[in-house]
Amino acid sequence: MLNRRDLLKLSSVAVGSLLLPTGLRPAFAAGGDITIGAPLPMSGPFAANGKFGSMGTAMLVEEVGKVLDRKLSYLEIDTEGKPATAVRKVQEAMERGVTLFSGGILSSEALAMGKEVAKGKGVFITTAGADEITGSECNKSTFRWSVPTFGAIEQTVRPLIEQLPNAKRWYTITPQYVFGDGLLNAAKAIFKEKGIEHVGNSYHSLTEKEFSGYLTNAMAAKPDALLILNFGSQSSDTLRQAVSFGMKNRMTILLAWASGLEQFEALGPELMEGVYFGAQYWHGIDSPFNRELVAKVQAKHKMNPNYAFASAYLTTKILIDAAAKAGSADGPAVTQAMEGMKYAGLTGDEEIRAADHQVIKNYYLLKGKAKSAMKDKDDYADIISFGKSFQSPEQAQCKMA
Amino acid sequence: MNRASLHFLLAALVAIALPLFMRSGTLASEVLIFAMAAAACNLLLGYTGLLSFGQGIFFGLGSYAAGLTLLHTSLPLALALVLSAITGAVVATGVGWLSIRRQGVYFVMLTLAFSQFFYFLAYTFKDITGGDNGLLNIPRPAIGPFSLGESWAYYAFVAVLFLLLFAALQRVASSTFGRTLLAVRDNEERARAIGFPVRNFKITAFAISGAVTGLAGALHALLIGVAPLSNIDYHMSESILIMTIIGGTGNLFASVLGAGFYVIVSDLLSSIWPRWLLLLGGLLIVVALFMQKGLWGLLERLVEALPMGRKSSINSSIESPIQPESEGRGI
Repeated sequence: MLNRRDLLKLSSVAVGSLLLPTGLRPAFAAGGDITIGAPLPMSGPFAANGKFGSMGTAMLVEEVGKVLDRKLSYLEIDTEGKPATAVRKVQEAMERGVTLFSGGILSSEALAMGKEVAKGKGVFITTAGADEITGSECNKSTFRWSVPTFGAIEQTVRPLIEQLPNAKRWYTITPQYVFGDGLLNAAKAIFKEKGIEHVGNSYHSLTEKEFSGYLTNAMAAKPDALLILNFGSQSSDTLRQAVSFGMKNRMTILLAWASGLEQFEALGPELMEGVYFGAQYWHGIDSPFNRELVAKVQAKHKMNPNYAFASAYLTTKILIDAAAKAGSADGPAVTQAMEGMKYAGLTGDEEIRAADHQVIKNYYLLKGKAKSAMKDKDDYADIISFGKSFQSPEQAQCKMA
Repeated sequence: MNRASLHFLLAALVAIALPLFMRSGTLASEVLIFAMAAAACNLLLGYTGLLSFGQGIFFGLGSYAAGLTLLHTSLPLALALVLSAITGAVVATGVGWLSIRRQGVYFVMLTLAFSQFFYFLAYTFKDITGGDNGLLNIPRPAIGPFSLGESWAYYAFVAVLFLLLFAALQRVASSTFGRTLLAVRDNEERARAIGFPVRNFKITAFAISGAVTGLAGALHALLIGVAPLSNIDYHMSESILIMTIIGGTGNLFASVLGAGFYVIVSDLLSSIWPRWLLLLGGLLIVVALFMQKGLWGLLERLVEALPMGRKSSINSSIESPIQPESEGRGI
């Protein structure tokens, strides 16, 4: 058995080895390139989103080619959908000299990565949903393109109430965590203001797959409108089960936080017809930049850009444009250039609010079309209304350090 | 050189080699952190015959304990780590005390149930744990005059702790207590008939395993600055078990091999092919069918195939706890 002296000797050897000159370790400083890190869930349950996000970043980098007379490249970082892996790989990328990051689809990953990038004085722009990103956990390095829960509800529930004055009784189905509560609280505030009766709410867990019990409760409350506040596969499952229960014929259904084209492809027009959806992006948006992007993506990839693709393309562009404007790829310089930046974006004129790093952009209310009314295979919905609604940085509780 | 010294030397060589061959101090630290967790799991699986899905609980609670201590108190880092180990040990004692009342599949189900229970506790008490967003902003304070901010400096700290814990676990495994665990694993009834307090031995093994896993969880939270909800998920237990099984349950160094292999190969494969989990699944099938002694067993076979290896195998002793033919009997 090893005695104490041997143990101490071996420990000191281990420590000593760590003090070797860094030259003995593999060198991994970035060369002359400006590299955009794209931390995305390329494997795991959200791999489909990651794949399109990566395609968006890759297309923009390829298109631009050079900035500040330096070659532009991108580094795809597979976060595996796990915050721990995401942070570790972002740390590694920063050790290799990467300072600019665009990605982070999942809220938990994005929050953690934002903190890590801030430590290294880099820049991180994300499309993740958690309000805290530009709210209570905001920081100097993190920017967010997507509209927070407040705006998503303001631009879906409010216009729908105005369109359907007879829908006086609303029922909500909510995932029980911060994101769900954010949407629910915003909806409750509008209900109160407009004299709407909130006839009930069903909370469910983050791992729920079976919604028939909640839907039975909803039907028993006899609402005029059902407001679905979960997202991703959970919202698809809720809608499928609601339609199979015949609820679409008995009430108006609004899914406030839809993923857009990728979700609609999975749902299909039969389920979607007559259902309302809230969306951050839709390829049918009539803005010069979006029309240009749609044409480019159709030419290159023979498809329409979905939310993951288009948002990654745009957020990467914002980083590169800011670097060009700053004349430097250093994090603090790019951050400064991004603060208050106005540009022609996917949703029309967009602006990055300096106080909390939130992009001020439109959110959309869509309505599912009948299959017979679709002009092409992706023409699943019409835009009913859109607009910009944001809390002030103080209301969002952002205290920028 | 005896077997334990050889294994410690190999563990030390791993700690020395990682900075020389790896470009990322973060990844190297993760290897050693999971090596600690896998070695602690091995104490239960390989030495006591307990297939526990509760390791994620201790890992996650260790992360939260360290995070909460450093965020809300002015206690030094060393004390935060000690508190994490104590948290792991206390909870493991409770989980072990209740779970070992049943054997076989019922024991496994109980640990799985506890795993889900603690996951939803962490998810529900979001004001304490951060819920789905995780516990953010965990600092990595200095130890005395030594800053741990730089990734290789933190690796050095983790490496020292790893070697100390590895030696301590070896001491436990080769003690009378450890030998008795082997006897319990091989034939619990006989051990009980001889007069060993089998139940107390199993609970103690759980407590030690929980303490080491809790400490590993704390080091992980310090590494990434976050205690994510996924640290207490049952997938964490699953990953730690896979590392232990891939390495082999024969000895503690096998767990170091398993953790290193799992962490490094996952990292490599994920950068090559998004469906890398398929390959990992295939590897597990191969291990289950043809390599029941894991990577360590493969290494043994390779060394024995060498001319000099035939004379002196790196592990020729009958004291090896590897008993693949009896795997599953003790659970």
